[in-house]
Amino acid sequence: MQRRPYLKSIIMYCVNELQGQRTIYSILHLLNGKKSSQTIQDAHLFQLTPFFRTFGNLSRGVLDQLAEDILNSCWMTAIDEKHYILTAEGKKELERSLLECPIPSSLNGWLYHSTSELFWKRITLLIQVISHLNNNNVKYLPIQRKRDIHEWLKGFLGTSGFVRDEVGVMLYRELGQCLEELSDINPAVLTLRMTGYNRIGLTAVQASEQLGISQDYYHHQFLGAIHHILASAKENSAEYPLINKIVSDAVNEVQLTLSAQKTYTMLKQGLDLDEISKMRKLKKSTIEDHVVEVALNDNRFNITRYVSEEKQKLILHAANRAGSMQLKQIRQIVPESDYFEIRLVMAKLGEGQ
Amino acid sequence: MRLDEVLERKFGYSAFRPGQKEIIESVLAGRNTVAMLPTGTGKSLCYQLPGYMIEGQVIIISPLLSLMQDQAEQLMMNGEKKVIAFNSFLSRYEKKQALTNLYQYKFIFISPEMLYYESVQSQLKKLRIALFVVDEAHCISQWGYDFRPDYLKLGEVRRKIGNPVTLALTATATHEVKTDIKKSLGILDCSEFIYSVDRPNIALTVEKVENFRVKTKRLVELAESLEGPGIIYFSSKKMAEQTAGMLRGNGAKRVMAYHGGMDQESRILVQQQFIHGQLDLICATSAFGMGINKDNIRYVIHFHMPLQIESYLQEIGRAGRDGKQSIAIMLYTPGDEQLPIQIAENEFPDKSQIDWISGWMEENPNSITNISAYEEQIKQLSGLTEIQWRIFYDFFERKAKSGQGYKRILQEMNGYCEGRIKLKRNSIEEVYRWIHHDNCRRENILSFFDEEKNIPVQYCCDICGLQFDEFIRSTKSDNQDSMLYDWKSHLEYLLIPSE
Repeated sequence: MQRRPYLKSIIMYCVNELQGQRTIYSILHLLNGKKSSQTIQDAHLFQLTPFFRTFGNLSRGVLDQLAEDILNSCWMTAIDEKHYILTAEGKKELERSLLECPIPSSLNGWLYHSTSELFWKRITLLIQVISHLNNNNVKYLPIQRKRDIHEWLKGFLGTSGFVRDEVGVMLYRELGQCLEELSDINPAVLTLRMTGYNRIGLTAVQASEQLGISQDYYHHQFLGAIHHILASAKENSAEYPLINKIVSDAVNEVQLTLSAQKTYTMLKQGLDLDEISKMRKLKKSTIEDHVVEVALNDNRFNITRYVSEEKQKLILHAANRAGSMQLKQIRQIVPESDYFEIRLVMAKLGEGQ
Repeated sequence: MRLDEVLERKFGYSAFRPGQKEIIESVLAGRNTVAMLPTGTGKSLCYQLPGYMIEGQVIIISPLLSLMQDQAEQLMMNGEKKVIAFNSFLSRYEKKQALTNLYQYKFIFISPEMLYYESVQSQLKKLRIALFVVDEAHCISQWGYDFRPDYLKLGEVRRKIGNPVTLALTATATHEVKTDIKKSLGILDCSEFIYSVDRPNIALTVEKVENFRVKTKRLVELAESLEGPGIIYFSSKKMAEQTAGMLRGNGAKRVMAYHGGMDQESRILVQQQFIHGQLDLICATSAFGMGINKDNIRYVIHFHMPLQIESYLQEIGRAGRDGKQSIAIMLYTPGDEQLPIQIAENEFPDKSQIDWISGWMEENPNSITNISAYEEQIKQLSGLTEIQWRIFYDFFERKAKSGQGYKRILQEMNGYCEGRIKLKRNSIEEVYRWIHHDNCRRENILSFFDEEKNIPVQYCCDICGLQFDEFIRSTKSDNQDSMLYDWKSHLEYLLIPSE
């Protein structure tokens, strides 16, 4: 029997998108959600943002093992040290396995990785509390132990402006409606895990066993369902006031790396790249990395200061023509632009998707 | 108000369990008290109830974070809001907040390492401490099976905060350990309440089988036939996990593993499922059990040999808290004693590691006054595990404070570790002898605590003769999920009040 077939298909999917331009470990960083400029840019460049931090615990050792399995099955071949591409057979296998276990369409690790966990902790505690209130029972152990989650709940029930008795009914309507929209995920992936009066929720392992799917596939469906809820609530805040309220204080954006933050502060003070490079004693290319990271993270960041609007249009046009996110190909079409300029435009493009 | 009334009103019980009332009266009379109550007989009530009858704070020192958290939550579940668990789970900000508002709380749980901060001590001095409770007090003693160096300094802290009335609680303590507790806390004149460690409603059996394969087969047989709920203890997370998986594979759906390697949410869920009767069997490591209030556990099986009689008693003591007949089964194959010996030895840094660190310190003299800053480096280079590092660090810091040179400290550390390992080996040997003895197992355990068996026990042990039928499941448990799962009706059940 194959070990971890779904995770393997995700790795193969990434290998296929990377086309041998990055090492296999860039996939590890992506799935772990490493907050480095390189990882963040690659995620956008190769359109792998949905997977960002969706296997946070994946270790290098396990990745190595799985990569070896894939190589041994002749689904992948090395073109350079730790650089791989899929074989024709591998592509067929990928297609087959994605047909069997499609990647949840709502999965969006990049946008929601930091909010998901918080949302889950809050909503499970909220449901547990409502369920016990409904049954006039105050003696139970909270399913979440973190003090900040408890504090949040107190505040939420106390000052949310919602009538206490109605919160359950509202949440039922919002969650029910939201989950019903899911087309490729069984809502049970979430509800089986929920705890209430006299009924303790299942663990991830138990839920995956009950649904008869692998733990890895279950994990992506679980995240996909949460991402769907968060996305729906954001798009349609009038329909989902309660869900929105639950995550209203959560920061959705990725925190910049510390070093990029410093650069950003200096940019805002009006310094240019050469000055910053000199003052921080860093290579100019490093500072450029920071600027791209900022562009990826802050959608208010205007890149016109670094790439003229005219050039931006040319680059976008070239990207469409090349039908690829490969910098090299774009550069061939627009030789007057440098890689920094192209990356900046691509960063903004990735965001629009 | 009378004690019984408080018991009824605050805790909803109509009667005290044996020993509780005497201990509470002693504490209320302002006497320092050492109390030994077997596991599962309601130790925590002995400080919770007095808390409601005297003005001032109850300080509870607890050795294990998870245990502390459980006890604090139990109180909160009981409707008590003025509870705080002051430990490393709190963020720096939360700690600061809590510290300045300590007087607002009634029950303050503190881990020993927190207690040694000057800032904490000076806040404690300002309080009016009604009762100073040392839970799991056997951790004070080097002879105890669970010695914590942090516990050694409790007596000193107790003096500093003005010698409050003290209650030392433990489930199991030999004579030596009891003496250490009293000396260390400076309460030689205390009242003592010692209750038998015997739990007559738990039958004791050892089954010797020839090899691992047969042992596993027997385990499956037992799990499938014994009346539940039950716990099987393992010394390894992996074995606990595998066995649970295997039993589920055989069709026993209501079985889960529990160990410290699981994420917190899963641990809480599995624990709660077991308590609520959604699971029949837990395949656990010793991480499972502390603070679990489930009174109808019918059997406890040990797949691996425990490290001490005391911890064995703690673990089997989780069975039969409702007073009904229960059974403890230890499975043994020749050579099983090797695993606990290995575990015990691996806990301590060995001589070559200590020698290596000595050499490293010679080359890095700056590290000596600030070794915590070199934690990662030392761990990585010397190969110390997390537990070994803790022991190394605690010992080193303790000695360095008294001004000893590092060479001497490390030399002493070698001796200390050897001594501790020898002690642990002795404990394992005691278990080994108990397994191989051919007279009454209960008598044997009792004599270990200087007690005698003086009541007749119907289902005593395999040596006295035991009818196994008593413990066999009468009804075939239903493993089918009889109902189809409908997510929407589940959501409705959770959120919509029923009429």
